Amino acid sequence: MVSKTEETQLNRLENQVDNGGGGAWDYLCLVRKLKVRRSEKVFKYGLSILNDPKKRSALGPEEWTLYEQVAIAAMDCQCLDVTKDCIKVLQKKFPESKRVGRLNGMLLEAKGSWAEAEKAYSSLLEDNSLDQVIHKRRVAMAKAQGNISKAIELLNKYLEIFMADHDAWRELADIYVSLQMYKQAAFCYEELILSQPTVPLYHLAYADVLYTLGGLENLQTAKKYYASTIDLTGGKNTRALFGICLCTSAIAQVSKGRNKEDKESPELQSLAATALEKDYKQRAADKLGLLTSALRSLKI
Amino acid sequence: MVAELKYEISQNAYIKLVLHALKHKTTAVNGILLGRVKPQNESVVEIIDSVPLFHSNLALLPPREIALIMIEEHYGSEGLGIAGYFHANERFDDAELGIVAKNIGDHICRYFPQAAVFLLDNKRLEALPKGKDQSLVIQLYIRDASKNWKLAGPDGGSRLVIKEPAANVVLSDYISSEKWQDVVDFDDHLDDIKMDWLNPELFK
Repeated sequence: MVSKTEETQLNRLENQVDNGGGGAWDYLCLVRKLKVRRSEKVFKYGLSILNDPKKRSALGPEEWTLYEQVAIAAMDCQCLDVTKDCIKVLQKKFPESKRVGRLNGMLLEAKGSWAEAEKAYSSLLEDNSLDQVIHKRRVAMAKAQGNISKAIELLNKYLEIFMADHDAWRELADIYVSLQMYKQAAFCYEELILSQPTVPLYHLAYADVLYTLGGLENLQTAKKYYASTIDLTGGKNTRALFGICLCTSAIAQVSKGRNKEDKESPELQSLAATALEKDYKQRAADKLGLLTSALRSLKI
Repeated sequence: MVAELKYEISQNAYIKLVLHALKHKTTAVNGILLGRVKPQNESVVEIIDSVPLFHSNLALLPPREIALIMIEEHYGSEGLGIAGYFHANERFDDAELGIVAKNIGDHICRYFPQAAVFLLDNKRLEALPKGKDQSLVIQLYIRDASKNWKLAGPDGGSRLVIKEPAANVVLSDYISSEKWQDVVDFDDHLDDIKMDWLNPELFK
């Protein structure tokens, strides 16, 4: 998960490298640190460093990390020959390594040899049953083969042991949403918000899921979480601002004809609308007309 | 019930959606098709433009609702309405029309009964650069009398045509030049409103 500042920094660096301005190694390190998936670029720039003996030796011990990074990027780009070469180099340097064993497992996955990959991972797990990466590879394999229910089962088992793995909770939430299992997705986001209450992304995602579930209570809670997202992002999150407007409109629809026990204060909605209009006027003036009509149609 | 409706898609609408799918190879993507019943021929629906929607959390409502409101508002003033839905699955081997796509298709049919759903055909897309198969890389799905989404014909038959015959050539060119990097979708817009989901400069 990457913040806007981090993404801008990464893209700037990427553009610099693309345009011949150097900084390839910094770029590769940043990709690794942020754990983003930019396999084509990593493959291109990583391989060019590895193929240049001077550049390679300048890396010192980091050379091996680069081999691993390029091996994985090569698999993502289906250039398995490069992967094999990288693994060979690593195997020579680290003969008994489990980490290299994992790469071999991933290579089997990339080839589509699921059964053999499963065997490789099982044997690695025998020596270390708490290897998180391998557990997650098995989830990925299930997903890749289209066996979503197995992926869910494995991921749930994983989270019983490694309940602090936020990426895993997010992955599980994503899978549930794609299957329209919104209640289960909501549970995942609740876990995330409990453990990291100041990360706005979780509040936003939770609100989106609650809105999608619908019903008066969920809509009211969604509105609260859009509000907390706005709070945590200094009012700059467009999606949360829209969320307030959508919730207010939906709540009004659902409570039509009911006794209005809690009076919905209109301030939050008008504040959100004003913030959106101000932002569009400044940065997307050609869409301001569309925004105004959209907001008008939501005020029903 | 619905007589043999034909769908005529424009090159730009077609290419925009495929490029969007290529920009986000690792996730499912979707898009909206804009069009209308052809004024001169009621048995033809012409798809004149498309808007790439999302590349994450396709099944969540809030971003979709905002997108649909804005899209309808914009294209309504041009005499066009939402006429269909495009979906590309996450996995290469997945050739099924999933539940999310069907639900969105159903929703669109409420307002435009002749709406169609298009599914990206991954195998044909892969074969495109090799130049062997010149059929469109999208599959046409239409609702039957019992409101189930069915693949139209063995491969869309002749119910889906493209106005410009060289569209696949143009598409292949764009793929080689990695034009997909320039496609902006609604997700991008919501992350940064400066990004224009109308993609006005894409084909200039």
